[in-house]
Amino acid sequence: MNLPNYFLADLPPEATLTPALLAEAAMTLRRNRETYLLERSTEQIVRVLVEVAENWMQPENKFRRLAEEYGPQVLGFSAATLRRGLDNFFKQLTRENFRAWLKQELGDERRLDELVASDAEVESGRAAIASGPEFLVHIAAGNIPNAALMSIVTGFLTRSAQFVKCARGTTLLPRLFAHSIYEIDPKLAACLEIAEWRGGDEHLEHVLFAAADWVTATGSNETLYAIRQRLPARAKFLGYGHRVSFGFIANEVLTSFNAKKVVARAADDVVAWDQLGCLSPHVFYVQSGGAIAPDQFAEHLAAELVQREAIEPRGRVPAEVAATIASRRAIYEMRAAHSSETRIWQSAETTAWTVVCEADPQFPQSCLHRFIHIRPVADLEEVLRNADNVRGYVSTVGLAVPDHRVAEFAVRLARWGATRVCPLGQMQEPPLLWRHDGRPALADLITWTDFES
Amino acid sequence: MTTELSVFAARVRDHIGFWSDEFFLGDATNDPAYRKHMDIEFGGLAVMLFTLQYKNNPAYQRLCHVRGIKPSHVNHWTEIPCVPTAAFKELELTCLHPEDRTHVFHSSGTTEQRPSRHFHNADSLALYEASLWPWLCENLRLRISDFRLLSLTPLAEQTPHSSLVHMFDYVRRKMAESDNAFVGRVAEDGSWYLDFNAALSVLRNGSSRKPLLVLGTAFSYVHLLDELEKQNIRLMLPANSRVLETGGYKGRSRTMPKAELHQLITERLGVSAESIICEYGMSELSSQAYEVSDGREVSGVRYQVSGEELHVSGKTEVATRRFRFPPWARARVISPENGREVGEGEVGLLQVFDLANVFSVQAIQTEDLARRCGDGFELIGRASAAEARGCSLMPGN
Repeated sequence: MNLPNYFLADLPPEATLTPALLAEAAMTLRRNRETYLLERSTEQIVRVLVEVAENWMQPENKFRRLAEEYGPQVLGFSAATLRRGLDNFFKQLTRENFRAWLKQELGDERRLDELVASDAEVESGRAAIASGPEFLVHIAAGNIPNAALMSIVTGFLTRSAQFVKCARGTTLLPRLFAHSIYEIDPKLAACLEIAEWRGGDEHLEHVLFAAADWVTATGSNETLYAIRQRLPARAKFLGYGHRVSFGFIANEVLTSFNAKKVVARAADDVVAWDQLGCLSPHVFYVQSGGAIAPDQFAEHLAAELVQREAIEPRGRVPAEVAATIASRRAIYEMRAAHSSETRIWQSAETTAWTVVCEADPQFPQSCLHRFIHIRPVADLEEVLRNADNVRGYVSTVGLAVPDHRVAEFAVRLARWGATRVCPLGQMQEPPLLWRHDGRPALADLITWTDFES
Repeated sequence: MTTELSVFAARVRDHIGFWSDEFFLGDATNDPAYRKHMDIEFGGLAVMLFTLQYKNNPAYQRLCHVRGIKPSHVNHWTEIPCVPTAAFKELELTCLHPEDRTHVFHSSGTTEQRPSRHFHNADSLALYEASLWPWLCENLRLRISDFRLLSLTPLAEQTPHSSLVHMFDYVRRKMAESDNAFVGRVAEDGSWYLDFNAALSVLRNGSSRKPLLVLGTAFSYVHLLDELEKQNIRLMLPANSRVLETGGYKGRSRTMPKAELHQLITERLGVSAESIICEYGMSELSSQAYEVSDGREVSGVRYQVSGEELHVSGKTEVATRRFRFPPWARARVISPENGREVGEGEVGLLQVFDLANVFSVQAIQTEDLARRCGDGFELIGRASAAEARGCSLMPGN
């Protein structure tokens, strides 16, 4: 891939990053931010981001084509999966969505530009302006690319110099995104740096953390804890730990007329980003008593995954992942041979997809990569009782329930601790306005300056 | 019903006896003519054994039935259906009637709620012992009578369900050593610990310059080495001593990469790297594989073992450390994607076909990742198949 050397991630593989190099990069980013970014209006920044997104939506766009060409080999997603994932991300980046997002998070889309007073502030004779971090470091996890792209978008809105530290082997999309920004607006891109190294490199990270006034990180709870321990006292930290997600399908929607649609939506959630996102389901709980029984649902889903594999194949997996899938399959096959309470459907000759239906309602942890569990349940309460071991770690619950019951279920799930409830089929497509793990991703980075008259 | 298995077990013992004769064992694996006969005999016995196990092991028959495989379909030992090691946790994979099961070996690990169960009787234990002994002796590369013994495990009577300790105890009996050779102890919670002073007294036995054979699990060596370091003790075991190390850690000590463990063993016990022997075994099997560094090149293929290369007398010689089973057990590395055997040098899941498993199932599908290396394999790691039921661990933990 022949891209000019604009970012650290563009350096040839034999080049080694040094603490001095990072210190220099940090200084340059800060300087560029003051020169090129600090005085920009939100409107100007949004205009660039929208234009970049529109370009990415064009099939002939050169960065998109590079992503499709190199992504399957480098990232392990098929070109079709990358296309769908990228479309779902970039179609969100519209002027209207940015406005709505700013309004949702900050009460007014001009908050980052000038002193603004809400009605309540007017009444109390006050106004306020919002400022973002000066130097924002993102420690990005490698499972799916969208999270890092979203972090970058957020950091531009907050007028921050940004350093994105990627997991090894995952710079491709952040890097292409950065180059696509550079193409439209090199000065804006000069406030962004992308690099990768094996997490935990104390020499490099010490320099980076010393420069940061804000660090966001995505990863396992251990990773987040380790990072937090190493931050200087003045640096603020925003950690996104691992989450699991599941779906619930009510028997009322499983009519023979409707089932095909529900199955297709369930397949969407399994296939999206090969099930690797925190918002991807580990299990679909299917309520018994519908026209389609849970194990029939599983069988239909397996048939649907055969079709999906033909048009949107799962990416290639390393041997250890395939071995895990094969080993788990062997266990379920063995159980299926001895009990009618376990059934398994799987792709032949590959580990591309697996559907396991078991009677045990205990929340099962999938090995992902399109390995989905189906569990029959009597009702949502049975689900929540059996998902107690993941309570507090659940991000998204995808629902297929009658419209008139959605609100009731959503409130129940909110009280229980889930942070996002969405229709089945959209689990891995959170909207721009999504509150990440229940937190306002933009507003969390903001420092307010109150003005009292 | 098991009479025919007992008769067959005697036949396997004969087979083992023949191929483990001093005359053959050294040459059998290298001479193509011997090798051919060995393969023919192994294949014939394995296919015959499949017929017997299909008939006598109901849980196994059920698995074969679901896969649509009957004895009449199987013409070659590679067509025999494997059972996953996890099946030993959930099913009674045995040909022995409940009243005939005099012994049971469990998988190790203190955290497992439901261990594997491998049932035995006198016949199957006799076969287990007949299998373990010649291959261990062969891999020690010295007469067993030349050694003194130290086992870092507890005594067999304290750990009746450990196949490993049963094996070490058999070695003790064959060597006519006393219980004092076993310096591991069992804590109240069932975990093992080391009686360090007892270990030290055997290790230091100054009066005898007989080489020492030290047996232990990786975690028991970590305990020993930690204590030696704490007390700042460096030992120099007698020349030709052997250190046999087996198994993983299973939460019983801090874990350590193998290369580091071996280096510390070399430093603290004063034995050369070539004197450290790794064992690969499991409660579900009756034969073991050993990994020794013999410095031979295998069929011209250069194996990179954990990125280490040995530099010997000026020329670079790649270490040929690989695990090998005895002639009566075979390892196969299969692609986890499609179940077919991988090519030379490729990585996949390890299957083991063990003729000595007459009374249970001979064909085992492990969860171990291995690289196919000539007539052996290099161990790469383990697939995380655990937690297939429930979710006691959070992702990322």
